[in-house]
Amino acid sequence: MIMKSVFFTTVCVFFVSLLQGYETLSSEQRLNGEMMQRAVAKAQQALQESSAVCYDGRNEVGYATVMSADGLLLAKWSELRDVKHLIIRIGAQKYDKVALLQHDPTWDVVLLKVEAQGLKPVVFASNSKVELGSWVVANGATTRMRRRPMMGIISAESRRIPLEGGAVLGVELTEQKGILIVGKIAEKSGAYLAGLRTGDRLISVMGKELKKRVDLLDLMEDRQVGERVEIVFARKGKIIRAEVVLQSRTETYGLQKNRNDEMSGEISIRRSGFPRVLQHDIGGSNRTVGGPLLDLDGQCLGMNIARANRAESFAIPLEELKEIFERLKAVSEKP
Amino acid sequence: MISLLTLLLAMVVSAQEPSRLAVNDKKAPTDEMDLRAISDAIKRVLPSVKSATVCLELGEGSGSGVIVSADGLILTAAHVSGGVGKKITAILADGRKVSCESLGLSSESDCAMAKIIDQGSYPFVDIDRVDSSKLGDWVFSLGHSGGYDAARGVGVRIGRLVKIADRTLQSDCTLIGGDSGGPLFDLNGRLIGIHSRVGENLSVNMHVPMREFLRNWDEMKQSEFLGNGPFASKPSKGSGFLGLGTEEMAGGGLRVTQIGRESPAEASGIKVGDMLLKMDDLQISDKASMQNYLKTKAAGDLVRLVFKRDGKDREIVLRLAEKSSP
Repeated sequence: MIMKSVFFTTVCVFFVSLLQGYETLSSEQRLNGEMMQRAVAKAQQALQESSAVCYDGRNEVGYATVMSADGLLLAKWSELRDVKHLIIRIGAQKYDKVALLQHDPTWDVVLLKVEAQGLKPVVFASNSKVELGSWVVANGATTRMRRRPMMGIISAESRRIPLEGGAVLGVELTEQKGILIVGKIAEKSGAYLAGLRTGDRLISVMGKELKKRVDLLDLMEDRQVGERVEIVFARKGKIIRAEVVLQSRTETYGLQKNRNDEMSGEISIRRSGFPRVLQHDIGGSNRTVGGPLLDLDGQCLGMNIARANRAESFAIPLEELKEIFERLKAVSEKP
Repeated sequence: MISLLTLLLAMVVSAQEPSRLAVNDKKAPTDEMDLRAISDAIKRVLPSVKSATVCLELGEGSGSGVIVSADGLILTAAHVSGGVGKKITAILADGRKVSCESLGLSSESDCAMAKIIDQGSYPFVDIDRVDSSKLGDWVFSLGHSGGYDAARGVGVRIGRLVKIADRTLQSDCTLIGGDSGGPLFDLNGRLIGIHSRVGENLSVNMHVPMREFLRNWDEMKQSEFLGNGPFASKPSKGSGFLGLGTEEMAGGGLRVTQIGRESPAEASGIKVGDMLLKMDDLQISDKASMQNYLKTKAAGDLVRLVFKRDGKDREIVLRLAEKSSP
């Protein structure tokens, strides 16, 4: 029953059964049990008013953070971009028409708009400098009427999360006598969205002519998600220029799960490449991010952006979140 | 006189026992004040307990451990140390690396000890020796999940004791790979358990209680391998390695001709030219008798050697290392 790998932990259901016969703490008394909820009334109130639930038809796909009284919200882009019929609920009110206005590929954040007036945007704390061990509250399971708070603490130092696997165009190339031909192209990859197709000849990236596949790998080293790179390609004798927005390898090709990931349930595919995050230990899944991270006063410390694994959740700190919001809003208002 | 002494001792002990937080005796916190009492207590002790929590690197893996004495005694999990006499590198909170060696372990309950070899005065935590934790108590876990990460630091997570069994504590402090061997603390910052294993559900996180460590303390400190698994398996007979090359001398006895680098023989101070006479109670007459005897020993076993140097009989005790893979 014991397994051992790069990191030592044993997943041992067998031993759990040995513990039968001993008194246990009732589930309502546990960290995220029913009885705990009384103590976080202010944060619950803030979640009720200033967080939103995102649905694809009837299925919950994530949460969102209310940023303005007139219906602007922020959420996690990669979890919503493929949603067919996005529906939002704030408090008990349902919104069928949701506009995806702008997104920020670096932070994986999307600006949403619902037709509403008089919403209560989150109230920000004075700053995101929260001590290790401080309580935080986030969205948990929800009903139609009620947002349920989940609790945890700030668990590690605030820091940058380097991008795992790097940034990619999303193409496979074959070398043919010193030229590069596009083979398989990943669905919804940056290259695909920029118009590149199988059979095209990729001539240059970022102004550098490509002769071998390794030339592209060299260029992609140290690139970040969301970076825009110019490509030149040829199709039927025509030279075409385009701009590719780079995506993460994990978004394009999926996660390479290690053993810790295997014991972590449903986790966010885009969980790295963030310039700075707050880390906390509130549980959940890839579908419980996008809502606000609150302190005990119900003030907003940031927005949950990734469920990284069983023990680690990440949030965008409020300073960066405000900047993202102002920037996306300004772009969306441009005529 | 004796009774006065006992009384004084009792007073000292009780003076050392930190007071129990009132919030621990509530079924659940009822307001923010209760919650803040918990987080304030954690923040108060975090700096000191963090500095005593180490990342343990051995072979291809990494786990966690916690220092419990100024001279560097470390408690960890048996499935992390994996055996007796193993070389381990400990990474302190500030990134400093120190050499360690594993001491004894209990393979049945997953407790183990290790010792920092580098001389120094190390930050350490206090152990709850009186088993004062109760079901529902607020606790927090520390660990170097996934290995040492200087930018992240040691991870801290909160929970309650949800089950207390004889040889296991269960909490809802979420654990993940790399946390194994790391410490679980009560709100006074006293060590109450060592992380051992998890279930699929987030609230199934198992720790070995301090009482299990204290029960096996002396044996572990003397580098004994206790029990028959499942958390560590005893090295098989014949796996022991001494690191000596010898030649048979006319008229009996074995002369040492070679000492293996970094072998137990080298560490023991035995030298080329020494004449081996006895191994434990066995008279060594030839190479075959020594080799046959070693086949009955395993890595980690102690062996007593009697040898002659400069006309005098000398005696040393050394611990057999593990043979590198054949």
